[in-house]
Amino acid sequence: MSALSTMAFVLIVIATMVILVFRDWRFNAAALAIQYLAAFVLVSLSWPMGMAVVKLIVGWMATSAITLTCMRHTHTESDSETTASLFFRGLAGLLIVLLIFILSPALQQRVFPRVDLVIIQGGMMMVGMSLMQLGTNSEPYLVIMSLLTFLCGFEVIHAALELSTLLTGLLVVVNLGLALVGVYFTIKISEPSPIEDEGEPS
Amino acid sequence: MTLSTPILWVITPMVIAAVISILHQRHVLGIILASLTAFGLAVLAALFPQDLSLSLGPLTLVFEESLGILGRQIILDYDILPFIAFIYGMTGLWLLSSNLPGVPDNFRPISLVITASLTAAMGVTPFLYAALLIESAVLISIPMLFLKKDQHYRGILRYLSLQTIAMPFILIAGWLLTGVVILPPDSPLVGQTAIVLGLGFALLLAVFPFHSWVPMLSEQCHPTVVSYLLFILPTTILVFGLNFLNRYAFLRTSAGIFDTIRLIGVVMISIGGIWTATQEHLKRAFGYSALVEIGFSLLAIGLSAEGGLRWMLMLFTARALGYWLWGYTLTRLESHYDTLDFKSIQGCARKYPLLASGLLLAQLSIAGLPLLASFPIKITLLTQAISLGGSLGLWGFIGNLGLFLFTIRLLLSVVTSTESEPIRLWGTTEKSSEYLPILVLVFILIIIGLFPHTFLAGITNILTVFPQLQ
Repeated sequence: MSALSTMAFVLIVIATMVILVFRDWRFNAAALAIQYLAAFVLVSLSWPMGMAVVKLIVGWMATSAITLTCMRHTHTESDSETTASLFFRGLAGLLIVLLIFILSPALQQRVFPRVDLVIIQGGMMMVGMSLMQLGTNSEPYLVIMSLLTFLCGFEVIHAALELSTLLTGLLVVVNLGLALVGVYFTIKISEPSPIEDEGEPS
Repeated sequence: MTLSTPILWVITPMVIAAVISILHQRHVLGIILASLTAFGLAVLAALFPQDLSLSLGPLTLVFEESLGILGRQIILDYDILPFIAFIYGMTGLWLLSSNLPGVPDNFRPISLVITASLTAAMGVTPFLYAALLIESAVLISIPMLFLKKDQHYRGILRYLSLQTIAMPFILIAGWLLTGVVILPPDSPLVGQTAIVLGLGFALLLAVFPFHSWVPMLSEQCHPTVVSYLLFILPTTILVFGLNFLNRYAFLRTSAGIFDTIRLIGVVMISIGGIWTATQEHLKRAFGYSALVEIGFSLLAIGLSAEGGLRWMLMLFTARALGYWLWGYTLTRLESHYDTLDFKSIQGCARKYPLLASGLLLAQLSIAGLPLLASFPIKITLLTQAISLGGSLGLWGFIGNLGLFLFTIRLLLSVVTSTESEPIRLWGTTEKSSEYLPILVLVFILIIIGLFPHTFLAGITNILTVFPQLQ
């Protein structure tokens, strides 16, 4: 189990780094799907498999919704990406990794003493990387992916603290709602013509 | 199925919202259905008997106050009904104006769903889960903010991001609080918990420095939609926040926490007021004024030992009416002008005197001009703040002065004729359908200003839900 959770943590680091560094939706969608798989492994350390699998299914549903929308409304900016910007974001990601490794033991000791260190590290890694992502771009689908990553990180840690069916259900609504908002944004932005004013004539 | 209050005030409006969505091409029917639902639920909440039974001729309907969902409960008891009546009544007011130019069709069903979600948030147990329902309301609100393809959307994204980030802070703080209650007050975990909780609420309430989305959203989105959102979200979040003070003695008894809330409130008032005073764009100025109003609510919470909570609740109605009028006049002006900066609307009072007057009066009502609705409450809050600490009250006063300064600048702009039309004569070109709502609202604001206790005190009854705060 320990090897599996360590592998899940490594996958989270790689997936979140990919989402932070690259702007190609194909890479990001694959990384998001892998991230949810790894998060599921960490959640299953605290929750029964039947409940933990909900996180995986919801995560993959959200990923599919965003991916399918991006597939129809292409978002490839990798051509215009300079090596310097990739390097900068990679460096920023490495700093986050370093920061999480430094902060997590203290966080475990002071705030979450009964939670496994790997769960805290995995959750905080997603939270930290997503906050960095939110601070460095304003592309709607990337912002939505960052918010999904942020929530996923929080859910991994919160799963170790509390098990509630209603909370799980509400988080499902929030995650799917966020994905739908992402879809809505992407479609609205790439819509061919603006919506006509349908109110009362002035 | 047993009838319950959550079915009435949460499920029913959601079902009706779904029906309105299906009938989205029938505008008039949608407006009538949505407004009737909102006003009907408001009246029902205001007049509901204490034993929760309704007699309709020979038929007697007995309502339960709770509804079980996934092992947890949504409880809407008699004591919270005045607040539910208030938010549904105000939603109805906004729905009545949903046929204004540019208001998206989806505003009608979405605003009903938002109000229903926030009503559920008021009653969900454990109350911490309200954070998720508030987040759901935020997610639902996104489609009505998005108007057209070429619209700037950074404000919407920032609003979504900051509100979403807030939710985990509230949930984690809730978990921490369960452990903190048994700890001594000097435990470091107590302070850490207060910081996590404070961060969550700072994000939710757009407290400086998490405020940037408010003026952005205000500038980029439709004024009617934004005014509704800036009324309903902070109002319910503030009432949700009272749960924490009511439940946790260490928060309630800590003088430091109230001092901090008071200080943050005054910072919000002064920063928001100064920014408002320097704005050139009317819609952005509305956003900054909303920050000032959140500041006043926080100041009132900080003054809860002096009865501030009653003032905070009384301010809700005056603010809601002021926001509605502000949103309405901005919407009407926007239909006549491309942009709403000072330069574009210069001299507009000569052409649209009643619209311009309505806008000025809405701003003055929010600012707390004597005789208008907010004045008695704001003067009391500022007096209390000055009595506690001179500089605190002074900065609050300076911030509030910013709203007056902006209104004076606006007044000078709208009455000054433009260089292209230097001798434009005064005259009214508004239709009666445009100015009648303004006249009615101004009359109501004056009446409330003259008799504040008669019209505003009713909502303070909801403090019975928070017995520790009375």
